[in-house]
Amino acid sequence: MKKLLNRRTFLKGSLAGSAAAVSVGRSQKAMAKDFEGYPESMGVLVDLSRCVGCRSCEAACNEEQNLPAPEKPFNDFSVFDEMHHGQKRRTDETRYTVVNRYDVPEIDHPLFRKIQCNHCQEPACLTSCFVNAYTKTPEGAVIYDASVCVGCRTCMVACPFYIPAFRYSSAFNPRIMKCIFCYDTRLKNGQPPACVEACPQEALTFGHRKELIRIGHQRIRENKDQYVDHIYGEHEAGGTAWMYLSPVDFEKVGFDTSVPKEPILNFVKDFLAIVPMVLTIWPALFAGIHLLATRKDGIKKQQQTEGETEK
Amino acid sequence: MKKMAQTSQEIPIVDHNRNDGTLWLIKEKILLGLSPEEYKTMLKRNPVNWFLFVLLGVGIPLIIIRYLFGLDTVTHSSNDYPWGLFLGFGLFGMVPLSASGFLLGTTVEIFGRKDFVPIERLALLNGLLGYFFAVVYLEVDLGMPWRLPYPMFVSLGPAAVLFLVAWHVATYLSVQIAEILPAYFEWIGWLKGKRFIKSITIGLTIAGIILSTLHQGALGALFTYAPTKVHPLWLSTNFIWIHFFCSAIFAGLSMVIVVSTLCKRFMTWRCDERFLNNIDDLTVKLGKGCSYAIITYLVIKVVGIAHDNEWAYLLTGWGNYFMLEIAVGVILPFFLFTIGVKNYLPNLVRLAAFISVLGIIWNRLNTALIGFNWQLYQEVPRWQEVWVTCTIFAIYFMVYRFILYRLPILYEWKGDK
Amino acid sequence: MRSTLMATLSIMIMMAIGALYPNQSFALDAEDAPEVVELDALSDLYEPVTFDHAMHVDAAECVECHHHTTGQQPVDPNCLRCHATSEETDSISCGECHSAERFSPQDLKERSNPDLYHIDKPGLKGAYHLNCVGCHEEVDGPTGCQDCHAMTEKGKKQFQVSIVPPKAGSKKDAHE
Repeated sequence: MKKLLNRRTFLKGSLAGSAAAVSVGRSQKAMAKDFEGYPESMGVLVDLSRCVGCRSCEAACNEEQNLPAPEKPFNDFSVFDEMHHGQKRRTDETRYTVVNRYDVPEIDHPLFRKIQCNHCQEPACLTSCFVNAYTKTPEGAVIYDASVCVGCRTCMVACPFYIPAFRYSSAFNPRIMKCIFCYDTRLKNGQPPACVEACPQEALTFGHRKELIRIGHQRIRENKDQYVDHIYGEHEAGGTAWMYLSPVDFEKVGFDTSVPKEPILNFVKDFLAIVPMVLTIWPALFAGIHLLATRKDGIKKQQQTEGETEK
Repeated sequence: MKKMAQTSQEIPIVDHNRNDGTLWLIKEKILLGLSPEEYKTMLKRNPVNWFLFVLLGVGIPLIIIRYLFGLDTVTHSSNDYPWGLFLGFGLFGMVPLSASGFLLGTTVEIFGRKDFVPIERLALLNGLLGYFFAVVYLEVDLGMPWRLPYPMFVSLGPAAVLFLVAWHVATYLSVQIAEILPAYFEWIGWLKGKRFIKSITIGLTIAGIILSTLHQGALGALFTYAPTKVHPLWLSTNFIWIHFFCSAIFAGLSMVIVVSTLCKRFMTWRCDERFLNNIDDLTVKLGKGCSYAIITYLVIKVVGIAHDNEWAYLLTGWGNYFMLEIAVGVILPFFLFTIGVKNYLPNLVRLAAFISVLGIIWNRLNTALIGFNWQLYQEVPRWQEVWVTCTIFAIYFMVYRFILYRLPILYEWKGDK
Repeated sequence: MRSTLMATLSIMIMMAIGALYPNQSFALDAEDAPEVVELDALSDLYEPVTFDHAMHVDAAECVECHHHTTGQQPVDPNCLRCHATSEETDSISCGECHSAERFSPQDLKERSNPDLYHIDKPGLKGAYHLNCVGCHEEVDGPTGCQDCHAMTEKGKKQFQVSIVPPKAGSKKDAHE
């Protein structure tokens, strides 16, 4: 009778275990499907050979997104000499976009590179977020909902472009600060973002991502020797909505060319794949081991009780 | 306390009844059977308490400032290094050291190794407190405590690795509380509760194994989101979850050895004969487990490098640093464990355990902070950040000590069980 | 405003001449061009530009700014593929081809026509700046924003020019 009870309690335990397994296992399944990006997704093609570093985009962004006033006015070009920890300026809680200057020896004039969120097709920030604060809209923007964010900053770790910044200065309202492609004020209504509209040189070309890739390749093809034959962002990180053309090798103008040509999520899938396996196999395995390991004890006990009754 | 325990027959408390047969009140149990004056004297006499007093005297205000004025008051608030010491040490370091709970739980309850019983509760408590304080570190880092349940109930992102960590750590915390409750029930004398927990022990233990395997691995897998940022020697995207899980095994066991050593040395009055007589034996046995786990870890570490073909990195400065970590944090304790186990030298095993605990913390810091952004620049934490980290660790230590002084962890309850 | 009128007028005159001699194809003559053109269609953050056309006529060939529209043969071999024998067009004003409404849904829709070759044609603002700044860099002409057009009050507001940057010494304090 005692043995029976043991088995029953054991079953109870393992049932609870596998119930948990089923509920978590199901939620894991939803993510593993392929996603090629929204067909009507918009993007911007940035042409480094056109940018003159006028910072109009920075000024326009600041106004459009109601960001805090900058330390220096936007027509102050000494910012190009600023260095922090040996790094050029980056996005932070006061600026969603930044233009940096690069002096490349083989060209007689400096090159300028605008950085902002690249709005990946399969964003690492989105896939790493455990409260679903990020959304990739059909228009192509990666937007963020501060009201559900707990502030774990995994998105900042995951972003291969070092874009999301955190409002560390706020104790009660900390949040991620990042370019949202002017989604609510412009993109939603079919308008280009403020920076694109502000650019005098049309260094920023707004359009359907598919068209932009055509345009980019045409520009490379028809302006021989003026561009490196590569569109940065066509495949980087699985493809981004913001893409770049450059007259010199991309690493010379601050691009990380080690960013993989596939979504960051692919590197995580190895682990995600083992989750359902562990959840289903472990309970059975360890329950089995338990039964085997304690079998002798059971037999001994039984023999003992039998011996006692015989006596 | 040691002196008081020697002079009094009734202290330390091991039973519901005094020698004269009357019951101890809960309040008296909390004061360890001392009068309030005696208790104060005891606190004042211990130099460790003075040290803690100074540490907390600065640390607690820092934490309050952090909660009132934002994280940038204590950290560099770096956008390049989103995770600092609170997570690098507090979360990534504390969790593997707390694997002891599920390991000893499995050994005793699943494998039926009843010889480990004297140390089982210590291991369970070590697990519970480690996890709890990992969450405390996390909370100090995040702020906004009212949003802690968001990932569970308000807005779910089930495809994220951190989702798994959050759920599993939360669930596992409950499991561990349940596992340690019998000690509490014995102490307050509520046997019904204890019997209920006992009836679901196997289920709890198996749940513990599943949850531990996954979230120990998941903490490593978090870094697979940053394949371009973490130095390739510390990040093998295919293997890192196994690395983290496997190293947690010897980290957890080593932590139990370290804690039990400290208890044996500094809290002898609280340990009973069963604990003191068995601890050398158990240390060596745990050391054996450690040496198996550590050699497995070493092998899969090498496999990870071979798999990604990263041999060339070993010749760089980073490679030398990596090999130093492996030599000091893995190979050295492995040899010490092996020699200690072979020749039955419990103290050598203890030394090995101590080194491997430090080695694991070092490894986690290397992965999360030092090897992170290896192509960018190094960030040295501000003193406030270090101080807060130490403060929380001190609170962890105090809670740990508080419980060990009272609950039947290091001794068997003499009253009804 | 007056010069725009003049520009329009002169274009109309030229068109009239073209109508008088329908069979005679000839390139527009630089001397027919207006002396000064006021570029004001896009003025917003900056004042309009008073463009000294006569001066630029001396510095450059028509084709360098007007492409094939004046009837001169383009230099770029890529353009020659189609425009080797192109005649002058009805209008040679920039805004005729380069849309001031660049990136509007309408503009993007027109460009998505799969048969269209000129999918990469800049808008009016882009065309002005790319052409002007590109050449000015080569010939050391003025390239600063306010060298050509002064900032309007609106522009000053957007660029937040009133901000006085912290001095280099006190920079650290501003950070903390």
